[in-house]
Amino acid sequence: MTGITLSPDAWKDIDPATEALLDKWLVAEGDTVRAGQTLANVVLVKANQDIVAPDDGRVEKILVPAGETFARGKPIAVLKELP
Amino acid sequence: MLGCSQRALRDDIERRLHGRAELTLRESGGGAVLTGPWLVSVSVVLPPEHPWVCNGLIDSYRHLGQLHVEVLKAFGVAARALPPQELPRTHEAGAVSTVGWACFGGLSPWELVNAEGRKLVGLAQRRCRSGVLLVAGTLVGPVDWALLCDAMGHPQHEPLLRHGTVSAQEMASCPIGPERFAAVLTQWLERELLTSRA
Repeated sequence: MTGITLSPDAWKDIDPATEALLDKWLVAEGDTVRAGQTLANVVLVKANQDIVAPDDGRVEKILVPAGETFARGKPIAVLKELP
Repeated sequence: MLGCSQRALRDDIERRLHGRAELTLRESGGGAVLTGPWLVSVSVVLPPEHPWVCNGLIDSYRHLGQLHVEVLKAFGVAARALPPQELPRTHEAGAVSTVGWACFGGLSPWELVNAEGRKLVGLAQRRCRSGVLLVAGTLVGPVDWALLCDAMGHPQHEPLLRHGTVSAQEMASCPIGPERFAAVLTQWLERELLTSRA
């Protein structure tokens, strides 16, 4: 199992108190995804950006629904790698 | 024009607009703006490795913000791009009021303000693996804030937006036409981007 997060690079120079907004999910729980596939769009400091799958796998659980915010390092979903 | 995360508001806004303006949704983040001859917008698409955008999203705003400072200076308008450490903290006592749903209702890194802290250039971006879209909007003339606030369902915010913003026209000693401003901005962009790519 892997927690899907917004990469640390995306948080560079950003105030620790700032949170990102989960704007839109492009996949649903149970979907099979490929490494590099865009899973969600998030907005951080007026910047819309993609979160991509780190590996091939299945989206086991979505932890942050669209419209909610999340902090640096917090997983937004759990990915179960394919064997 | 709504920011990408405001799409859920579309139906309500369409109903309130009654055809007074066309409603569109942009790809970048940030809040709503009222477009027209009072707002000169520019969109710049750069590869991820370009010097303007390769040092993170905050730094990506810096170059476009500072370029706008220079362009406005050429029109006799003194503005400055706010570095992140100078941004007012909304949770601190005495902080400026913000209108979160409006692009010009708050301040983000490297956006432009006048000496009194009134905003005149807003910035946003869209980042993906293939490139970065930087967007800037400059208030060159007075905005019908009442129309925007009414459309968004917050007519009480009109004084906050009117007092929290300023147009280049108000600050300049001579008239600034949107076409002329756009032409000069384009010239500066072409020159700067060719230089930074070298």
